[in-house]
Amino acid sequence: MPGDPPVVYVVDDDAAARAAIRSLLDSVGLRAQTFGSAEEFLASPRLDVPACLVLDVRMPGASGLDFQRDLAARNVAIPIIFITGHGDIPMSVEAMKAGASEFLTKPFRGQVLLDAIHKALERDRAARHERAKAAELRQRLDALTPREREVMQFVISGLLNKQIAAELGASERTIKIHRGQVMRKMQADSLPDLVRMAGTLGIPSRKY
Amino acid sequence: MPQHTSLNSAASAIALAFACVAAALMITQALNSIFPTPLFFAAITVSTWFGGGASGLLAVALATTVLDYYFVPPSHRFALKAGELPYLIQFAIPALLNCWFVKKRKDAESSLRQARDQLEYKVRERTAELRQANQQLKTEIAERIRAEEIVQKTQADLAHVTRVTTLGELAASIAHEVNQPLMAVVINGDACLQWLAREQPDLPEAREAVGRIIAEGNRAGEIIRRIRALFKKSPLQKVPVNINELIQDIAALTQRELVRNAVSLRTELASALPPVFGDRIQLQQVILNLVVNAIEAMSGTNRRPRELRIRSERDGDGVLVTIRDTGPGLPLAEPELVFGAFFTTKPDGLGMGLSISRTIIEGHRGRLWATDAGDGAIFQFRLPIHTEAG
Repeated sequence: MPGDPPVVYVVDDDAAARAAIRSLLDSVGLRAQTFGSAEEFLASPRLDVPACLVLDVRMPGASGLDFQRDLAARNVAIPIIFITGHGDIPMSVEAMKAGASEFLTKPFRGQVLLDAIHKALERDRAARHERAKAAELRQRLDALTPREREVMQFVISGLLNKQIAAELGASERTIKIHRGQVMRKMQADSLPDLVRMAGTLGIPSRKY
Repeated sequence: MPQHTSLNSAASAIALAFACVAAALMITQALNSIFPTPLFFAAITVSTWFGGGASGLLAVALATTVLDYYFVPPSHRFALKAGELPYLIQFAIPALLNCWFVKKRKDAESSLRQARDQLEYKVRERTAELRQANQQLKTEIAERIRAEEIVQKTQADLAHVTRVTTLGELAASIAHEVNQPLMAVVINGDACLQWLAREQPDLPEAREAVGRIIAEGNRAGEIIRRIRALFKKSPLQKVPVNINELIQDIAALTQRELVRNAVSLRTELASALPPVFGDRIQLQQVILNLVVNAIEAMSGTNRRPRELRIRSERDGDGVLVTIRDTGPGLPLAEPELVFGAFFTTKPDGLGMGLSISRTIIEGHRGRLWATDAGDGAIFQFRLPIHTEAG
């Protein structure tokens, strides 16, 4: 996965704009895939490589943003560079809030677009890295027994073994073994490390 | 009754009778005539013709007397003998009849002349009246033509204002239409530079980029040409016009506006449509107005789908254009209302668009009307096709 050439998706209903952007990306050795409509893009399979989307919101004002929400709903987490003909401020603010990485007003220099694309790809690379890490953590978490998971929830809440034992009606020795298993399976070096992992995984702490 | 040609004073009538009879006598004596009667008839005729009835009668009396005195033996005497009488009566009766006929003839002629004179007078009078009426009519026609010219000029001005207003509403879209090729030009330019800046400059790619720059420059120019044509304030110029071309021009010009309002456009243009005769700009204005209205009508509702259909077809000796939207439709009771001046549903509308459009179409000997389709509005106009005869 890392080292795979990234891809830039271009969605623009103007064929001339698509051709120009594709040529620009080709010229700097960036791989581009172009689409005439949002639907076309959604219907096509996406590559498992760092990517970003260059989206012309020449399409109906709201629907550029609708599309952004569509993507989010489909769990397509991909940085979007919006291109617009008129720097509509409320729209750009909303787009940024919804996770657009850049908002360019036409006409702009090629370098501005390339810079934005590089930044977006970098961001996607980092995000992909984060997601990979989270996926690995989840795998570790899945290796825990239900009892161990229960113990983990108490541990990250800051309870002592004795307290956990009282809560679960088990001996302090058994809890100690479970706790050791949790730290080992989760590959946690310390309690703060485990707490951070739980945060990443979104595991709620458990109070008594 | 005034007698124009005969002598009308009594004195001259008497004098004429004497003169005529005397002349007849002298001529007869000079010729030593044996049959003097015809000359005296002539004297009576002349006297009656020029001197009137009284003069004629006097001439009859004088002639009879002179005949008796000079020519009926025994001559140079007035003494009437029984033997002379028949001769004199024989002369007097035809003489009297002659006098009567001449008088009659004269009277008829003079009343004819009088009637003719009167007629001539009347004709002169009427001619003068007619001439005056004609002059008045000419003045009125000139005034009317001038008024019509003013109306036409005012309408043209108003049409121009409405057109510019409509274009103003499209300003953002139009700016975007121009911006689009401009962006492509800039990006292609940058791409071209990149291709050239490579270690091994990629000339084919660079050339292609330049080709696209030229194409896009032309595209921008074409858009500006279309807009400028609509902004132009030019006198009516009627030429054979291809309606399909106008529809395509307007579709291109409003493309962005359609997209912005999530309206899909469907055109069904008849191929081999005969040209109509008209002013390109004005007809384009009508189509533009109907399209912009349709877009605005649909954007005001949440009804879906928003679809604009433009159809052109041959209709007998005319061309029929139908523009149909899926907006809220027309006020059902009276679709014609929308063509009234100052009718508008927009808060900042002039309300002149449809009124002007109808004036333009009617100025092209065509018809523009509206119907409610239940799920939208239908506007249609029909123009006669252009024939060589005009």
